[in-house]
Amino acid sequence: MTVEDHSSVDDQTLVRASQRGDMAAFEELVARHRDRIYARAYSMMRNEEEAVDLSQEAWVKGWQRLAQFHGESSFGTWMTRIIINLCLDQLRKHKRQRAESIEAMDEESGGVERQMPVVTVNPTAGLERGELRQRIDQALGQLSYEHRTSLVLHEFEEMEYREIAKTMGCSIGTVMSRLFYARRKLAALLADLKNRDSV
Amino acid sequence: MDYKAQLKLQALLDGELPDGEASAATKWVARDREAASLLEELRSTRGALAGFEADVRLPESREFFWSKVEREIQRLETPAPKPARVSYFTLVRRFLVPASAVAVVLIAGLMLIPPAGSTGRTVAAEIETALADSGVFTYRDYSAGATLVWLSYPAEDEAAEIDEMGTFD
Amino acid sequence: MSAKLIPATGLLWLSTALALLAGSELRAQAADMKFQAFLLWGTDNSKPPEGKAYKPVAVDIRQKLKELPIKWTNWFEVNRKDFAVPQSTVSEVAMSEKCQLNVRKLGDSEVEVTLIGKGKEVVKRKQSLPKGEMLVLGGNAPNSTAWLVVLKRIE
Repeated sequence: MTVEDHSSVDDQTLVRASQRGDMAAFEELVARHRDRIYARAYSMMRNEEEAVDLSQEAWVKGWQRLAQFHGESSFGTWMTRIIINLCLDQLRKHKRQRAESIEAMDEESGGVERQMPVVTVNPTAGLERGELRQRIDQALGQLSYEHRTSLVLHEFEEMEYREIAKTMGCSIGTVMSRLFYARRKLAALLADLKNRDSV
Repeated sequence: MDYKAQLKLQALLDGELPDGEASAATKWVARDREAASLLEELRSTRGALAGFEADVRLPESREFFWSKVEREIQRLETPAPKPARVSYFTLVRRFLVPASAVAVVLIAGLMLIPPAGSTGRTVAAEIETALADSGVFTYRDYSAGATLVWLSYPAEDEAAEIDEMGTFD
Repeated sequence: MSAKLIPATGLLWLSTALALLAGSELRAQAADMKFQAFLLWGTDNSKPPEGKAYKPVAVDIRQKLKELPIKWTNWFEVNRKDFAVPQSTVSEVAMSEKCQLNVRKLGDSEVEVTLIGKGKEVVKRKQSLPKGEMLVLGGNAPNSTAWLVVLKRIE
C-alpha cells in the first residue's frame, strides 16, 4: 500500500495493519495524531523539547504495545493515556530533583485561593483566539505541576475526579482542591494580564 | 462562603454532584449572589480553556519526526551485538590512567577541606518549622522573586481578644 | 607496560585553579548580607485607622505583593528597618514591641529567618534568598485585615 492509500483508510484498519507489522500504516497513524499527543505533552511539561522527546517515546511505546490495544477506546485516546503517563513519570522525576515549596502545600490547611476576590470581568472578552491562547499559555506556565496536571486532566482529557485521583495517586478531595486552586489562580492571572495590557 | 461550599460549586459545574445535591445547589446559587459570582468565574475559566490545545502543532516535519520514531523502534527491535573480547593488558591500562587522575584530584581536594570548627556550606533546601500552634501555607513565585509564607497566626480564638492591629503593632 | 602519567606541570595548574576557587568562595562567605525589613498592615480601606501614622508602602514592594495570591488591596508601612547580617551571627530586629525578626546567614544566599511574636517563636524558615528577592511572612489580623513582615535582601 502507498502512503496515499493509507491516508484514506480509517484508524481501525490502520491499527489492525500496524498490529500485523505494517510500519507504513503506523506512520500514517503517527501523522494523524502526532499534534494531539504533542499538545498534551506540552500542556503538561511546558517545555517544547521535552514535549517532543516524550511524544517520540510515546509513539515508540505505542508501537511496542499495539497488541494490547483492543479498541475499548479510540486509538487517539489510547495514545493520549500513554503520553499522560510518560509525562507524569517525568514530572515526578523533576519533583525529586527540585523541591518546590508549593508542592509541599497542604491544600486542606492552606487555602489563600479561598480568599481571592472573585474575578467578575470576563478576562477573555475582546481577545482574538491567538491572543487568548498566548495568555492562557503564560498563565498555565505559572501553575505548579500538580495544579496544572489536575487542570489538564480535567479540562482537556475530560477525566472525572475519581479517574484523576487514580492517575495522580491522590484522594478525590485533593483533586478537588488542586483543581479549584488552579482555576482560581488562572482566573486571577488572566485578569492581571488583561489589566497590565490595558495600562 | 466556606471552603466546602466553594468546592461544592465547582462540583456542580463539573457535573460531579449526585442529582439531589445538584438540585439543592442550583437553588442556592439562584438566591446567593456570592455563589453565583464564583460559579460564573469558574465557568468563564472553563470557557477560556476550551479548545486550547486544538491549534497546537508539533514543531517538526512529518518526515523528520517519523524518521526518529522509526529509528528508535528499529534500534529496540534489533538485538545488540556481543562486545568484542578485551585483552587483560588493555583492561589494566584503562584502569590505571583514570585511577591516577582521581588520585590527583582527591589530593588537591583534601587541601580545601575547611579546618575543624568552621561553618561549612549549607545544602540548599527550604525547611520550615511552624511553631506556636500556627499552620503554614507556602507559595513561591519564581518570576516575581518572592516567597509567601502564610500563617494561621494568631489562632482563631485569640483574634476576638485583640483590638484593631493589636497583633503585632 | 606503559601507563600514561599526568605531567607534573598539569598537577600544579590543577592545584592552583582549585586553590583560587576556594579563595573566592571564602571571600564570598565573609561579606555581610544587607536587608530591609518591613512591617506592613493590609486592608481594603483606603486609609489607615485614626491616629495611626502609617505610610503607604513602597512602590516596588507593592508591585511584588500584587503578584502574590493575597487579596488585600491596600498596604501600609508600620515600620521599616535596614540591617546587615555578618557571618556566624544572628541579627535580631525588633519590628514592633510584639514582633521580632531574627536573621542568620548560613551560606552564600542561604538564610535562616525566625519570626517571634509576643515572645514566642511563630515560624522558622531556611531558604535561599538571593539579592533582590523577598520573603513575605503574613497572616490574618482582626476585622478582615492582615499583617505582613517583608524581608528584602538588598546586598
